Amino acid sequence: MSTGPDTAPADTVSAVRPFLLTSGRVAVESTLPAETQVVATTEGLGALGSLAFEHRAIIEACRAPLSLAEVAARLRLHLNVVRVLAGDLKNTRHLTVHAPQPDMSSDVDVLRRVIDGLRAIPTSTGSGSVPASEKD
Amino acid sequence: MNTDTYTDSYSIRPPMPVKMVIAGGFGVGKTTAVASVSEIEPLTTEAAITEVATGIDDTSMTPHKTTTTVALDFGCVTLDPTLKLYLFGTPGQDRFGFMWDDVTEGALGALVVVDSRRLDDCFPAVDYFERKAMPFAVAVNIFDGSLAYPLSAVREALDVDAEVPVVSFDARSATSVRDSLVVVLELALTRAATAAAAAAAC
Repeated sequence: MSTGPDTAPADTVSAVRPFLLTSGRVAVESTLPAETQVVATTEGLGALGSLAFEHRAIIEACRAPLSLAEVAARLRLHLNVVRVLAGDLKNTRHLTVHAPQPDMSSDVDVLRRVIDGLRAIPTSTGSGSVPASEKD
Repeated sequence: MNTDTYTDSYSIRPPMPVKMVIAGGFGVGKTTAVASVSEIEPLTTEAAITEVATGIDDTSMTPHKTTTTVALDFGCVTLDPTLKLYLFGTPGQDRFGFMWDDVTEGALGALVVVDSRRLDDCFPAVDYFERKAMPFAVAVNIFDGSLAYPLSAVREALDVDAEVPVVSFDARSATSVRDSLVVVLELALTRAATAAAAAAAC
């Protein structure tokens, strides 16, 4: 199937084709997990005025560290679009990208820290406002 | 650690992200479970997953794969200033043939949420995590305060490995969800410790 500039992919339902924002580029940073942390650099914040829409929105959102998934959700962008744009901003040093270590699932120390951390979270007030039915 | 390809002394150092996956069939309580322990309202983003057409009888054919955009629900818990746990509710488990590698890669483990009245809805998720050799536990959601079947019957029906924990939980209870996630992590820890001991013995 053609995916040229005049032909939207058949399975795209959005009125705005997501990858228009990336000039059609895909999968540049596809190996970055969704929880990868991104944070704006001083250069990035200083260059806000010169950045285009989505790049600018990402930098503004990332004054404090966020995951790629959070950036995508907040800006209502496809996760893969954010991956590509974050890669752009990393290359221009407007954003630092902190990918998680690849082998943490077999890291005894990390697992112990997560278990201890979970056991310590306050849960007594956590169940009051949760809806009984699921939305998915 | 999480060093970038260049150093920027001005940027803030983010926490180390880790993630777990909450899987299960449609409407089984995944998003409710995420919401119960998440410190933020669960967010939704569009992500791509791969759907593999099931033509498995014909080995001469290359599996036909298509990419599907799905809604991905997630939340997070800051465990300490340097460690943040993300919880992803993986979509589409009510259909066979989905590959959630994009979401699950690198996860510490998975919780497969089950409605005991609709056990077969969770088969794709159980099958997937078994194939990935990812630590997981089966969490039978308590609807209306009771289980339709005892846990032993659920275990027998799912035919999961003896090491896979099968627990009951209430997706609306933070304590219950938290404890179920810890069960998964303890299995992961046991596996990791065993692997480390075996490596040290070589």
